Amino acid sequence: MKLALTVNGERHDVDVPPNTTLLSVLRDDLGLTGTRYGCGRGQCGACYVIADSRAVASCLLTADQAARMEVTTIEGLAEGNRLHPVQQAFVDEDAMQCGYCTSGMVISAAALLGRDPRPDEISIRDALAGNLCRCGVYGRAIRAVQRAAGTRELGGRGAEPPERS
Amino acid sequence: MWDRHDPERLEQRIRVEPDGSITALSGKIEFGQGIRTAFAQIVADELDIPIERVNVVLGDTDQVPFDFGTFGSHSIVQETPLLRKAAAFARHLLLDRASAKLGLPAEKLDTEAGAIVGGGKRVPYAELLDSEPLAGTIPDRVALMPADRRKYAGRPMPRLEARDIVTGRATFVADVRLPGMARGAMVRPPTRGAKLRSLDDSAARTMPGVIAVVRQGDVVGVVAERDEQARAAAGAVVAEWHVVPVEGPTAEVPMRSDADVDEKFRAASVRLAQTYVLPPIASAPIGPSAAVADIRAAGATMYVGTQRPFGVREQVAKTVGLPEKKVRVLPQITSGTYGRNSAADAAVEAAILSKGSGRPVLLQWTREEEFAWSPSRPEAVLEISAGLDAAGRIVAWRYDEHTNVHTAAGLDPQVLTVTSGRNAVPPYTGFPARVTLHIEPTRLRTANFRSLAAAENVFAIESFMDELASLSEQDPLAFRLRHIDDDRFRRVVERVAERSRWRERPGGRRGRGIACTVYHDTYVAQVAEVEVSLSGAVRLVNVWCVVDPGQTLNPEGVRNQIEGGIQQSASWTLREELLHRDGRVINTGWDTYPIATFRDAPESIDVLVAGDESAPPTGVGEPGAVPTAAAIANAVYAASGARLRSVPLTRERVRKAMAG
Repeated sequence: MKLALTVNGERHDVDVPPNTTLLSVLRDDLGLTGTRYGCGRGQCGACYVIADSRAVASCLLTADQAARMEVTTIEGLAEGNRLHPVQQAFVDEDAMQCGYCTSGMVISAAALLGRDPRPDEISIRDALAGNLCRCGVYGRAIRAVQRAAGTRELGGRGAEPPERS
Repeated sequence: MWDRHDPERLEQRIRVEPDGSITALSGKIEFGQGIRTAFAQIVADELDIPIERVNVVLGDTDQVPFDFGTFGSHSIVQETPLLRKAAAFARHLLLDRASAKLGLPAEKLDTEAGAIVGGGKRVPYAELLDSEPLAGTIPDRVALMPADRRKYAGRPMPRLEARDIVTGRATFVADVRLPGMARGAMVRPPTRGAKLRSLDDSAARTMPGVIAVVRQGDVVGVVAERDEQARAAAGAVVAEWHVVPVEGPTAEVPMRSDADVDEKFRAASVRLAQTYVLPPIASAPIGPSAAVADIRAAGATMYVGTQRPFGVREQVAKTVGLPEKKVRVLPQITSGTYGRNSAADAAVEAAILSKGSGRPVLLQWTREEEFAWSPSRPEAVLEISAGLDAAGRIVAWRYDEHTNVHTAAGLDPQVLTVTSGRNAVPPYTGFPARVTLHIEPTRLRTANFRSLAAAENVFAIESFMDELASLSEQDPLAFRLRHIDDDRFRRVVERVAERSRWRERPGGRRGRGIACTVYHDTYVAQVAEVEVSLSGAVRLVNVWCVVDPGQTLNPEGVRNQIEGGIQQSASWTLREELLHRDGRVINTGWDTYPIATFRDAPESIDVLVAGDESAPPTGVGEPGAVPTAAAIANAVYAASGARLRSVPLTRERVRKAMAG
């Protein structure tokens, strides 16, 4: 079926089989591979995008449903060379290891700050609870969101010099 | 087994590019453990060049020197000295060339920001190539850059890939896109090892987008234009299978057998025997396995996530019938897999599909396939008995580890000792011990997983140390220190006690537990603080960790790795158990195999990197995960009086143990 999607502020015309997921269209038709496949059931958060201001699992939306929404993917957060504050904070806090879940986390955090610019820690944990990370960077990611929100002054990196024995 | 004996060639290690940038080559692989950054730091220092101008190529089998694989947190240990020496040698060659070119003695010349300087002149490295690349055998001894001139090693550094990761530009395996690339989906048997009896693909072949149904031996898959078309067609293939039970091997390996253990045990004033049980767990990467294969008659290119690029090359070459030198393996950034990537499953399958369809093929496993078909950490049953003398010192130690085989490396007793038997021998001294490893059969597919058997053995040993301390009314910290004679080990244990204020016990329903170990010469000690509710729910509140990985290249990278190890291990300990019957995994999704989430993360994980700078660098990817289970179980005991000898520490188990 023929569809027109608005992704990262641009209109894209695609022709895909019925019931194709938004995730599949992003990755396979639009070449936006920063949105990752993780489970196909909305249980891991790797494929989150912002659709009409909310973080949603793109594996659960059909492209047809998404055609009625404004979709922002991880590729659409930065403005030119200037990273979105959440992206910059994830770099500054070294809040990643393998990086596979990072796109989804950054999306959830950006959507959170969009509706609540100064969330408390519990709100951050709740907003990102759908984003699984196996490498275990939860603590750093929380600090990164706090940093992006301006509720945490000190950076993780270099904040504490290594002690020598 | 990981030693390299042949002298190394510079051209396989360091290349000065025509634009003056440096390419450094290594067969090791980045999985998020930060080795790309660590290698760039060393090379930038030795070649006196800004780190932005160093490009690290990892695992490209057409370019890098042969490497056995990225395992056991060895990368930093093995590669650091080699790359450092290679880069230092390259710098000397550049100085020699400049000396000849400028007619000045090399001693009058120096390097600065990617150029040779001296006699009022400045020659960028690129101008010294004259279409003659640097080459030669790297000598055994090369003068290294003095420590006070190193700008990067030892300093906190952001990961080189960080910006690509946060912008989504990083290319993971499944993000590779080739012209004409099709998508694959496999037809799975009921259990592993099943033989294909018959195949009816008539319906599948006519479905939209289908390019080919491919069969090679007992491997069957579909290639189609789109992912969902390949999956739908794979579902329409009718296959009949003959189920053949597959079982892992058995073995018995005496690992230590001191004289008089039984006599000393019988003569002890106090004796204790306990058994600890850990279930199989899944490596459960967030990104399921994937591979892209482009197999042509003239040669093959593989885009994979692997710990063993040369192993994949060998397997793929054999599978598609090409000589190894015609197969190029290009490792891509991959989801962390914590050991699972030593199996080349998806790569071999993608190669079969590409060869059978004549198209480049991307094969992306589903979440269910990842749980069902990838190898798991074996289960373990650990039996320990020990005796104490009247003064509360250990006088005899007997340990039987029952587990399944961890690697495909075979049943050589020496290999088993360092794989399935890893850390079965306690790090404590002053008593005779008998330690025996029993490899028992399993229908489950088992394999390497972060730290191999060390996490299981250390859970048992460190829980038991607590039980011995409690039995003889000694402080768990003091009891451990009485049996440690290695200064570095003692230091991390003492410092984690200081750091966590061990002596100030938290009140209420909170408790603290300590655990420590030595893993491949990395010393690590942890204190966990938990809160146990009346219903038995365990909340991990804080963790303190002190680690000594010897000389430290990137302290921030070390902290990140250790924190991650602790967080992952807390998830194993509190939540995870893989269920299986007749070799089939039962829980194949995140709903039935839950892992820790943002809500479960402790309030703080305090990591102090206290490396002994006089000792060689050791790995940190695995050791952080090793003592955590025991630290948590010991904390649960301190908080509630419930001693848990089986993980995961579920609410039901804790409640039952509290009821006594």
